[in-house]
Amino acid sequence: MFELFKEKAEKINAEVYHFNSKAEALDFIKDFIIKNSSNKKSKEVVWCDSNFLEGVDRDSLLKELPQVEFNIDLNSASSAKIGINQVDYGIAETGSLVEISDRISKRLCSTLPEIHIAILPVSKIETNMETVMKKINIKNIPYITIISGPSRTADIERVLTIGVHGPERVIIVCVDNF
Amino acid sequence: MIKEEIKKALQNANLSEALTRFSEAYAVSRRKAYEGLDFEEIRDKIASVKAYVAEHLDDVVQTFIKSAKANGAKVFYTKNPDEVRKYIIDLAKKNNVKSIVKSKSMATEEIHLNKYLKEEGIEVNETDLGEWIIQLAGQRPSHMVLPAIHLTRYDVSDVFTKKVEPIEPDIAQMVKFARKHLRRKFLAADMGITGANIAIAETGTLVLFTNEGNARLTMALPKIHVAVVGVEKLVAKFEDIFPIIRALPRSATAQLITSYISFVNKPYIHIDGSQKEFHIILLDNNRSSIARDPVFKQTIQCIRCASCLNVCPVFRLIGGHVFGKVYTGGIGTILTAWTEGLKASKDIQGLCIQCGNCVKVCPGKIDIPELILEIRKRLAKEEGLNFKTKAIYSVVNNRKLFHSLLRTASKLQKPFEKSGFIRHLPFFLSELTEKRSLPAIAEIPFRDRFNKIEQPKSDKKAIFFAGCLIDFAYPEIGEALIKLLNRAGIEVIFPEEQTCCGAPARYSGVMEVAANNSKQNIEALLSKEADYIISACPTCTVALKKQFIKDLKEQNYSIEIIKKAEKLSEKVKDTSELINRLIKEGKIKFKTAPELSYTYHDPCHLIRTLGIYKEPRESLTTSGMKLIEMFESDTCCGMGGSYSLKFPEISGTILKRKLENIKKTETNLVCTDCPGCVMQIRGGVDKERLSIQVKHSLEVLADRLKED
Repeated sequence: MFELFKEKAEKINAEVYHFNSKAEALDFIKDFIIKNSSNKKSKEVVWCDSNFLEGVDRDSLLKELPQVEFNIDLNSASSAKIGINQVDYGIAETGSLVEISDRISKRLCSTLPEIHIAILPVSKIETNMETVMKKINIKNIPYITIISGPSRTADIERVLTIGVHGPERVIIVCVDNF
Repeated sequence: MIKEEIKKALQNANLSEALTRFSEAYAVSRRKAYEGLDFEEIRDKIASVKAYVAEHLDDVVQTFIKSAKANGAKVFYTKNPDEVRKYIIDLAKKNNVKSIVKSKSMATEEIHLNKYLKEEGIEVNETDLGEWIIQLAGQRPSHMVLPAIHLTRYDVSDVFTKKVEPIEPDIAQMVKFARKHLRRKFLAADMGITGANIAIAETGTLVLFTNEGNARLTMALPKIHVAVVGVEKLVAKFEDIFPIIRALPRSATAQLITSYISFVNKPYIHIDGSQKEFHIILLDNNRSSIARDPVFKQTIQCIRCASCLNVCPVFRLIGGHVFGKVYTGGIGTILTAWTEGLKASKDIQGLCIQCGNCVKVCPGKIDIPELILEIRKRLAKEEGLNFKTKAIYSVVNNRKLFHSLLRTASKLQKPFEKSGFIRHLPFFLSELTEKRSLPAIAEIPFRDRFNKIEQPKSDKKAIFFAGCLIDFAYPEIGEALIKLLNRAGIEVIFPEEQTCCGAPARYSGVMEVAANNSKQNIEALLSKEADYIISACPTCTVALKKQFIKDLKEQNYSIEIIKKAEKLSEKVKDTSELINRLIKEGKIKFKTAPELSYTYHDPCHLIRTLGIYKEPRESLTTSGMKLIEMFESDTCCGMGGSYSLKFPEISGTILKRKLENIKKTETNLVCTDCPGCVMQIRGGVDKERLSIQVKHSLEVLADRLKED
């Protein structure tokens, strides 16, 4: 299932990584932040709370990477270059992510910044949209987005251009065992 | 008026090139997008869930209102566009809204919302890139899904430079430019307005498809979200969305899925800690009347994918600024008739050439050409016909007069005729021969030749319905048919009382005349006993097989004559089908002749209404011919009966493309099974002085018959 998910997601220009543990995934994300942010002074990364962060020492992470902001508001999210959140399901058939948001902060991490890093537990990859929707009680949820790759347009001369109003890169960090 | 617009559009190379390139690429990528899926199954489901909504519209609306209110949304349902505008303006005033961001919504275009908001001094910014360009340029969308497809990168850079700030005509840079400028608008907006692609009654959920991510920002950032939703977007159950989710991106842009599909259910706590306001406006604007109309109710099955535009041979030449109003193309014509009134569709309804290309791709299974024909009928009824049209049809209604006029014309045409073609006509008729030559009317029509043909007597008989073109322009096609059928031991009967099949009147909406033609023909064709009733013109075949019954029922003819029409229908066969069967049964055999290569043009009525396309190819191959398929072999040749007389410029341009595709096959023979297509393509070949022969398949097959 993961292989199919990866293949389909990459076809629609998402970048997919697979890690066996949370620790490895965290190292990758840290490394990615260092490589993709310009300095340590401004808050270039917004990171939305999720169970991936449980057990992570945030204070030492902030010391190591002061460009990370865990407090998400309009100001921090709109000035950040990278937004990190944990998504709820993956859809193998289309390589899509399912982001269930009960709080707006989670949504802002995937709408405003240029780069969206989506953390996805491998166990949450399902076959298709129908199987995912069967597991969700839509009545209780304010808002769901199915995200399939980066934002795109073909409105000028039908030339496909990646990155319009939403992220131009979607990095999917798939993690086993958490 | 529309004639001038058409000319202007046809001369706009940017427009027709962009649209044509798109439609060619679309056909291929759409097919690919549906690979592995059963399109027929998907669209059956969509049609049935939407037909349910049309049938139970009031109930579904009420259920949606109840569910959405329970979710915490404020719901406003209205039949009246005025009230939508008032609701939004009042809401804006109450909340001191200074600026609004919008993501693409056809319903707000339909009610010209932006104009009214602007008049109230409220700043409105469209945020879909194409819509923003159009808004800055002060135009209207030329395509429902690709609003700025008529503009080049240079046009866009001009618009940006004039209205925003200077920018080079580089697409990637201009996209970044839009992100930068619109981001400020998003962050400053007090209200976001969206449409919705689906509204689920059971759960009160709105579903929105976007690629750019602008709808997500429109919904997330401003404190107030207003969604304006036409009631045709409703589905009853949550599970009803899945076939639409599969079809919409595939049919609209040939994508497997759009970048974002948002499900909006209930308002949450806004980013500043306050309660978000979520308003849903359900707009009827005559949709409930559509749902109640026995013919038009299928219009509610539209999911607004615009695939009917993408495959339309007329739309791709002239675009949505000419072919449409707010809603464009074929479906746009129908929606215009209902949202703006029947009269508003008067000019554009005539643009449909009735080729049926849209019918096979519509995910809502809407018979768009049939509905446009219905508009024509209702217009003809409401407005009456002008004197000229009436005079013409009264002639067609009188067989003897009609036929004697054709005979006279055959003599009068002499000064213009040259080797069977009329290449130039004087005065106001000149545009008819601008892009193709017309066939000369035959000196001796088929009906006069028939009696001189000696046929072997047989018990097996076929009644031949010739139709006007074979009778008066191409009698040799009829002769070829007799040769083939005689060889199979079938004797051909030609009842003299037969007349025009009624297609010209029928496709112009003049149903009294069409029904009268139907009746005359039924009586003529059933006056003799035979095993088959055959036609070598698919438009006539369709008339005999399907339309006569419909015409008579519509015009309230007696049950006896309708019964006769049904009896006739059962016996009718297109010659392409019958001949193929006789070949397969070994009753028609061919001589060993040199293998000739040919390309095949599929007549619209043959392939799409009768579903015949394998048979004629198979027959020709069996006769030792080699098929070289042309690109878009099933795209209309531009003839469309009287269409080529009403819109000769469009017809001629469609023909030109057909000729290009024929030339690319490098064969010098085109076969087809419709005398109308023969007339059109042969006329184009003659005009361009190409050394390509255009023949009815019957002529080719008869030539290759095994000697006795």
